[in-house]
Amino acid sequence: GGCGVCFPISQPVLPMAQSLLKAVLVICTYLVRWRTEYRFKGLKSLFLIPSNRNSYKKNICIDMLRQGYHESFSELFALIQKWNALREAAGPGSAIWQQKSLEEQPDKLHQLCHFLTRAEAAQRAGHYEEVYDNQLYLAYYCFSDPEDKWLSNYFYEQCFNTAQLIKIDGGKREAQAHANMGLISEEQGHVMKAAEHYEVFYQLTEGSTWKDETGHTYNSLACEHLWRIYTLLADKMLENKEHDQAIKTLIKALKMAKEGGDKMMEGEAAYYLSLAYHFAGEQQTALSILNTAVKIFTALCDSAGLGRAYAAIAKILESQGKAAETMKYLGEFMKVAENTHLSQSLVDACVLLGNIYNERGKYSEALEYFSQASEAAKALNNLPLVDETKTYCGIAKAHKLMVAFNSHIEAEDPVSLKYLLAWKENRSDMCTDPLTVGKTLVMKHISAVLSSMVKSFFL
Amino acid sequence: PRPAPLPEVSPWQRGGALAGSRRCELCGAAARLRCRRCRLTYYCDVDHQTADWKYIIDLASSTAQRFVLDGKHEEAIPAALHALRFSTEVYGSNSVQLVPAYLLLAEASTGAGCLLQASKYLSQAQWIVLRTPDCSVAVQQKLHRSLGLFCAAEENFEQALYHLANDIYLTSSMFGLKSIETSGGYFHMANIFFHQNKMDIANSLYAEVTDIWHAFLVKSLRAQEQIINSRPEMSPLTGDEAVGKASLTEAQQAEAIRVLNAVLDIREQAPKQQPRETARVLHTLAMLYYLGMDLPKAGEVGTKAFNLVKGLPQQESLEAIGHLLKLINSTPSCTK
Repeated sequence: GGCGVCFPISQPVLPMAQSLLKAVLVICTYLVRWRTEYRFKGLKSLFLIPSNRNSYKKNICIDMLRQGYHESFSELFALIQKWNALREAAGPGSAIWQQKSLEEQPDKLHQLCHFLTRAEAAQRAGHYEEVYDNQLYLAYYCFSDPEDKWLSNYFYEQCFNTAQLIKIDGGKREAQAHANMGLISEEQGHVMKAAEHYEVFYQLTEGSTWKDETGHTYNSLACEHLWRIYTLLADKMLENKEHDQAIKTLIKALKMAKEGGDKMMEGEAAYYLSLAYHFAGEQQTALSILNTAVKIFTALCDSAGLGRAYAAIAKILESQGKAAETMKYLGEFMKVAENTHLSQSLVDACVLLGNIYNERGKYSEALEYFSQASEAAKALNNLPLVDETKTYCGIAKAHKLMVAFNSHIEAEDPVSLKYLLAWKENRSDMCTDPLTVGKTLVMKHISAVLSSMVKSFFL
Repeated sequence: PRPAPLPEVSPWQRGGALAGSRRCELCGAAARLRCRRCRLTYYCDVDHQTADWKYIIDLASSTAQRFVLDGKHEEAIPAALHALRFSTEVYGSNSVQLVPAYLLLAEASTGAGCLLQASKYLSQAQWIVLRTPDCSVAVQQKLHRSLGLFCAAEENFEQALYHLANDIYLTSSMFGLKSIETSGGYFHMANIFFHQNKMDIANSLYAEVTDIWHAFLVKSLRAQEQIINSRPEMSPLTGDEAVGKASLTEAQQAEAIRVLNAVLDIREQAPKQQPRETARVLHTLAMLYYLGMDLPKAGEVGTKAFNLVKGLPQQESLEAIGHLLKLINSTPSCTK
């Protein structure tokens, strides 16, 4: 049924004056709050603005919307939601749980507002390169802190999407965007994705003159990224014993390194490729490539590279039983080291040679080389290296001593026995004068060490 | 809401000429009490009277709203006043439940040209909201929408944009960024920028409105198709009912048709034509008409969209429109 206009609207029961006073007080309170809290200038309104202590986030959003920047509003709103979702997913106890939410960081919100609105204005005008530049600013400058990585990555991705629309700059920003996406993929462990991006970066920058702020051309950077990523890919393949694939990939890596023009890269690439051939059993190819590496490292005076390369050569030749060739190479190594005044390389070369003589039982020669290594290490002032070389000397000396020891035992005659006993007592040189009195205590210590060495030899 | 003083119901006289046959207005059981004011309506107890009044409020409100949607603002005012009076009786004069009634009155008054009256109603509404500490976000949003529209009618554009910005912010918080509820706010904002001749902003906003509806309708269409495909003997009419969650109320549908047609007009009359945008609106409208079972209109609009897209260099949406047209043509038309 319907009750029509039968009855009046009920009136409040308070006396008139009291209610009026109350109303006036409330109005005054709200007016005061309005002036202090709401910063909207020049607003003449019949209505009171509701002053429920807007958060900074709300004020910024409303500011953006009022001016018509609705895409910026949407993007900011979505980013805040995304942060909250990331935090929820990470759960309590994670690093992000302790962090301040994006909506409670006014300076970040301010930066986002500033650059997002500029990007939106540029987008409406169709100036996509400006959109890109604003997004890049956010990605590179505003959010460079590690805890803002997700924001930075987000804007790099936005740059990438925008770059596809830019026709005005010949593809420079598009190339840049591929490089950045490649770096992000690489950071996240998506090696194949990174390779794809770097390849496009390479294609887009072929024949261009674009340079970065350090003066390197984009194309050379592309070569460097590709060299690095192909090497990473090949690493995985070698782990899975896919030797042929690894070799193919490392050949690509070497090509890139050559094109990039950085000799160090080229040397490294050659070295890795030779290792791959070695693992695949193709020793000759490995050796020939190692020779190339050696040439490059020599020209660069890079002792680390030289050390690795020659060690690899020595190992391969030794495994092939080519003793004479090994010595020849190592002799070359020593000459190179002396000529280029690379003390570290001299140490490396001497140690390699000493090891070979040691293994062959030529302990005097071994000791000679190890001593030389020790001297070179001292010249470098590298204390750990000095200690290492001294240990090698000790090993050679012990082996030498053992030879004499064994020969005396095998002789089984009284003179030999006398020598042995004298040695045991005062650690004199048993090859010369058994009656020389030495420093017995120290000698006893050395005796203990040597005994264990001898024991291990027999084991 | 605070219990308001109700007019008494009096036990109606037994033994009168009509004794023994009265039924409760709400539940139909034997009635013991009669409304004292109009003396025509019977209830079994006071709770049923209150519930009936709530039903009356609803009825008055929706009647007023229908008039407003049809553009008959003056005719809406009596119904809206009714809603207000009943609400005051049931909830008290300071209750936040009165706000929808005030907003409806304001909208009707604005449309009828009584801006002063509208501003009074809006003041009342705002007053109540300010004094309600735990006022819901939904009510605040509706208030901002009304304030925005009123300021726009007054040509106070800066203020209107401020209120509509609040509206959009609050609806986004409640329903999500790209929800159909938010599209209303964007549409009204677009109209203001259009009025101010800021065409690039207006176009961007109109495009957003179109996109939101386009996405929603595509989803609805797909949902409906899935239901039909799993039960092929059902006609699209019953299938529409079964969709449920994603379907529109009648008011929302009417609003959508109005909004999208307005956007279409703007697109078609723009000095610099953007055929892709126009086609998108046409496609969206076609989907809307189809889901609302207005097949002739759907076909007309859909064909227009199809022909427009055919003349474009890139025709990504052609397949979708073609599919829709097939649906329209294969659906037997039935009167609702």
